[in-house]
Parts: sequence; C-alpha cells; structure tokens
Amino acid sequence: MLDNPDHKNEERMSPMATSRRGFLKAAAMAGAAVSFGTSIARANGEIGFWAKDLTDQQLTDMFTTILRIRWHERTMADKMLTDPEYRGYNHFYAGQEAVATGVCAALRNSGGVMQADLAYSTHRPTGHALAKGVDMKLMAAENDFRATGLNGGYAAEMHLSDPEVGFMGADGMIGPGPVIATGSAFAIKARGSDQVVVNFGGDGTYATPHFHSTLNNAALLKLPFIYVLENNLYHQYAHYSYSCPMKDIADAAAPYGIPGIVVDGQDVIQVYNAAKTAVDRARAGEGATLIEAKTYRYYNHWGAPGAKPGELGAFGYDPLAISSFRPEREVRAWMQRDPVDIARKIMIDWGVIDAARAEGIEASVKQEVADAFAWAAEQPLCKPEDGLRHVFVEGTVEARQFG
Amino acid sequence: MARKSWMYSVLEAVQYEMQQDPNMLWIFELTPPVASNPGKPVINLEKEFGRGRVVNTGIDENWMVSATLGAGLAGSRAATYVPYQGACMPFQVIQNHAGKLRHMTGGKASMPVVFVMEMTGQTPGFAGQHSDYEIDTYYAHIPGVKTVIPSTPYDAKGMMVSALRDPNPVVYLYPAGLRELIEEVPDEQYEVSLDKAIVRMEGSDLTIVGSGASMPEVMKAAEALKAEGMNVEAIDLRSLKPMDTETLVNSVNKTKRLLTVDQSYYTLCPGAEVIARVAENVDGARYKRVAFPDAPPPASPEMFVWMRPNADHIIGAAKKLVG
Repeated sequence: MLDNPDHKNEERMSPMATSRRGFLKAAAMAGAAVSFGTSIARANGEIGFWAKDLTDQQLTDMFTTILRIRWHERTMADKMLTDPEYRGYNHFYAGQEAVATGVCAALRNSGGVMQADLAYSTHRPTGHALAKGVDMKLMAAENDFRATGLNGGYAAEMHLSDPEVGFMGADGMIGPGPVIATGSAFAIKARGSDQVVVNFGGDGTYATPHFHSTLNNAALLKLPFIYVLENNLYHQYAHYSYSCPMKDIADAAAPYGIPGIVVDGQDVIQVYNAAKTAVDRARAGEGATLIEAKTYRYYNHWGAPGAKPGELGAFGYDPLAISSFRPEREVRAWMQRDPVDIARKIMIDWGVIDAARAEGIEASVKQEVADAFAWAAEQPLCKPEDGLRHVFVEGTVEARQFG
Repeated sequence: MARKSWMYSVLEAVQYEMQQDPNMLWIFELTPPVASNPGKPVINLEKEFGRGRVVNTGIDENWMVSATLGAGLAGSRAATYVPYQGACMPFQVIQNHAGKLRHMTGGKASMPVVFVMEMTGQTPGFAGQHSDYEIDTYYAHIPGVKTVIPSTPYDAKGMMVSALRDPNPVVYLYPAGLRELIEEVPDEQYEVSLDKAIVRMEGSDLTIVGSGASMPEVMKAAEALKAEGMNVEAIDLRSLKPMDTETLVNSVNKTKRLLTVDQSYYTLCPGAEVIARVAENVDGARYKRVAFPDAPPPASPEMFVWMRPNADHIIGAAKKLVG
C-alpha cells in the first residue's frame, strides 16, 4: 500500500480543511465541547450558514450544476419519448437536483479513491454523478451502451461509476450500498486520511436491515460518514408511509447518538449548509451524520411514462405502478417549489448573477447537454465478445452459449 | 377454461387457496397481487382479503421471507412474492433456516410456506443486477426446500396449487421473461406435481433438457431440428429439487445423446446436475451443455444478447452432438 500514508494525507489537505481542523483543535484545547454539532457552533458565534463563505464563482458553479442535471434529465426523457432508436433509460432525478448539488459542493471531488471524498449512489444516479464531477459526455455514452462510454458499456445507468472523482457508483439494489459505504469510511479512518464518505439513499432504504447496520457501525466506530437520505416520498411505487412509521426519517439518528438533520431538499443553500456541517464534523474525526432531505421527483420511478416531450415532469398514469400512483396535484404542488427556480432567485437576490446571466448560463448548459448526447450517439457499439472480459482482472472467461 | 396470462393463472390459484383457508397470508413489496384477464374478473388479493392478511412491506426481502417462514412455524400457511431485484437478499433464511429446520427439529417444525422468487426477464440493457438468471442453481442446492420452476401458465397455476398445499417449504421460481405467455388454463384448482419433469416433444435421436426461461428457445430449436429430420426429445425439468432422474435416464437410454440448455451460468447450472445423474445411469452416451458464460450479464445489448443462449446456439450444439 502507501509507504507513508499519514504524510501524504497532510500534504493533500485543502487549506479550508486545515483551518477547520485547526479551529477544532483550538476549541478542544480551550475546553470547549468537542462536538461540532449545530448548537455548539452557534455557541461559538457560528450560525451554520456556511454559504456565507462561498465565492460568487462557487455559487455560480452550484447554480450551473443544478441546471446541468435538470437539462440532462429533460433531454434524456425527451430522447426516450421521441427517438425510437434511442435505447438509454434512466431513473430520473429531476426535482431533486438541489440535494446532489448542495452535498457535492461541500466535498472534495478529485484525486481518486485515496484522496477524493467518496460518494455512493443509487439506482437514480445521474444527478449525483454530475454533481460529483463525472464527465457528461462519457456518462451519456455509457447510458447509451457505447464501447467508449464511462464504463465501456458494461454498466449503463444503474452501475455508472467513476472512482477518479470519488463517484463510487450507482447501485441497482436497495440495502447493501450504505453498509459497503461504511466500509470505505472505516478504511479511510484507519489509514488516517481526512476523506469523508457520503451515501445517497432514498426513503426506501429505511426499511432495510442494512439501514440499522449502517448507522450502528458508523456510530460505534465514529466513522467519517454522512448518510444523505433523499426522502422523495416514494420508494418505487409505494409511499414511504408503507415502510417507515415516522414522519421524519432523520429521527432514526437519535438512538445512535449521531446528529439527525431534516433539510429542505429543494433549496440548495440549505442542503449545502447541512452538508458542510456534517462534512466538517466527519473530517474532524467526530463521526457520522444523518441528513434527511425532503424532496420530490418529477418523473415516475423509472423512465418517462406519463411524460410529454418538451414538458417537465410526468403526470399521466404509469402502467408499472399497477395499483398505486402519485396524485397529479401532489406532483404539481412540489413543482411550485422547484430547485432550479429557488436557486436562480437566490443567485439573483444575492447579486451573484443577474437574470440575463442566468439565462446565458442556462442556454450554454442546454448546448452542452445537446452536444453530449450528440457525441454519445456517434460512439461505437460494444463488441459482443468483450462481454467475456473484466470478469477477473486478468484474461477472459470462456464462451459457453454455443455448447 | 379460458386463455389466461401467467400472472392471472397464478393469482387464481392463490386466491382460491386464500378463500378456503382464512389463516393464509400473502406478503409482497412493489408487486401488488393484482391481475386482469380479458373476460375475467380482476383479481386483487389486497382488496379481497385486506391488509391484515395481504401486506405491502417496505423494501425488505429479509423480512418478507423470514415472516413467511415464521407464519408457517406458527401454523399458518403463507407465501411471499420476492421481486427479482431482491431474490438473493433472503438467501440465508431459506438456506440456513427453512432448509434445515425440519431436520434439525427431528421433524417437529411446520413449514407450509411458499417463496415465490422472481427471476429477471433477462432483459438486455439492465446489466448485472437486473438481467441475471442464476438463482435456480443457488436455491436448488439447498436440502429441505423444494425448488420448482414452471415454464407455462398451465404449469404455473398447477404447481402453485401444489406448492401452497405442500407441507414443505417451496421455492417457486418465476422466470419473469415468461410473463407474456398466454394459454388455455382451467378455472378450477388442479395440481401439477412438484417432482416430475415432462416430455414436451418425443424423439429418439437426441434429448434436449431445459427449464424455466430456456424452454421457449428449446422448443423453437426442437421444432426447427425436427423439420430438418432430427428426432429430438425435449424435456422440461419443472422441478430442480427433487430432480426427476427417471424421466431423464429413460430418455437418454433411448437417444444416447444429451444436450442441456440453461440461461444460468455454466458452472453448476441445472444442466450440470442433469448430466451427472444421467452419466451415472446410462452407458455410452454423449453430452453437451449450452449455458450463459461464467460472467455477469453486461449492460450492452450487443454483448448480452450474444452471450445469452438462444435457439440458434441450441441447434448448433445439437448438430455437433448428432452429426
């Protein structure tokens, strides 16, 4: 492994992380409580509104990221609806953009698995991937099963991964992901790194036995781990009241003695503030946090049933839902608190950008997305026999389908 | 009698058993026990029997299977429908508990339970976790659990009736790729045995054995080979455990050539067990196996469709064996 991991960790710490750690050490020596929970921060004059420290460029980048996710999703949905040649699919993230964006803005998003902060994603990964820094063109090609896609055409939407930016991967299963993520956090702590691990998971993950294992071990071992639970109200086709007896899933943190925070998932600034608090806590060796982001998805569980080309959201009947589906009025009510609109308004109100600049950014984002899908469509398809590669590091397995 | 879809046929069997037995339970997640069929009333178990007996859980396959087993141990018949995404999450409960409890308790444990395990539709494009077809091998390995895999709506209903009435735990594999199949299925309850293979086509030149989702391609290949003059005997295993050795041995005694076909991975696929049993009992036969390579299914349809066994592969292998 590494010849001197501790030394390397110190070298690669960002100045902000260093000063935060310095502050904490000083606070601890001065006899202040070691916990960096919100209340302690406030006692020190900190209000937890970390967005105050962001530069205009950082804020503009966050707004741009939200738009990139939004237009990636809309463009892909339109392609699914209008282009019979297009084979890609997605579990669309539109409506939840502020969560991925706000969280990843508080993370280190480069340097590979030994340096970047690591994010574990879900079956609804494209927003997390873009926010974490995955290349949009490569992702579009992967989602279209191209040999030159992000994962060579082996993964597609549900298994996208790019460890280089710390995007540990989408996952088609509900359950094991967060537990695996705590293993990464355990390794990071053991090797003395200041990296943190974020697990994105939906409201459906609460019902799994893995949820307990995740929080229990994260708390027992004081892991640098943040569970970002995106409560979009529905796991697949069922309302979360079928799988969770509490209104706020964040309440589940209390028995483990870790902070459980409810945040408005439609407001990127609120998400960022909560994530930054949790990340600083984790980096300082103070353990895990559960953040529940209240949010909503504009499309149905999978694909674009009920959606119309050129229109945001899906309101029609989803045949996959069989006997349960989301009321149209609920979808429309959530769309009134749109994460793109909220972010745009904040940027303009704060004087970060003006309305014209916001429009310009959106136009260039749309162009970037169109270019990415066009590039992807020109990429080569996979060679059939390559399906026998990458089973092990070395060699290929034998073809058995011919007898 | 009417033409019925797979799921309608199965839920008809469940509905009748639940009407007869007020203690019987059904546990599901995501896949509501609802089916409709032209000219027939809609079946909705949740509505008919209420949420006290038919429960929609969170995404927790471990609970679904454990609770079904627990209900059986407490003396109630119970069944659960685990969608393919989670079909191995509860493996330990079936392998270490359901499969061993009768034996470990000296025969005292009661387990009239059915675990409906959906297998994927082997749909191209969905990659490793949502295109795989492998649990036939895993579950068939467990002692103490019957593992069956119907390949037609008729058998699906009859084997569901038998499974629900069986005092042993049954893993009832449902290859979801067959959900489009429609055929004549009786309205009344009938049983199809849980330990008998069936000869789908009689012949003397070559025995082809398949199961579950491989059967449509096996039959397509058998018809094509027959048209070319090869007398193929096609066998549908239907039950992986117990396996009907007698039907297999009788057939290969006649044909002296055995080709097995599996959508499962090559290593330890059901066909491997078929060949081993036949080889122990038949002298001088020749053998071949068509199976999915020992690789997870890749997302790219170009790669996946090339790897997935089909009728052309079966025809090619049959000609190598017989030619």
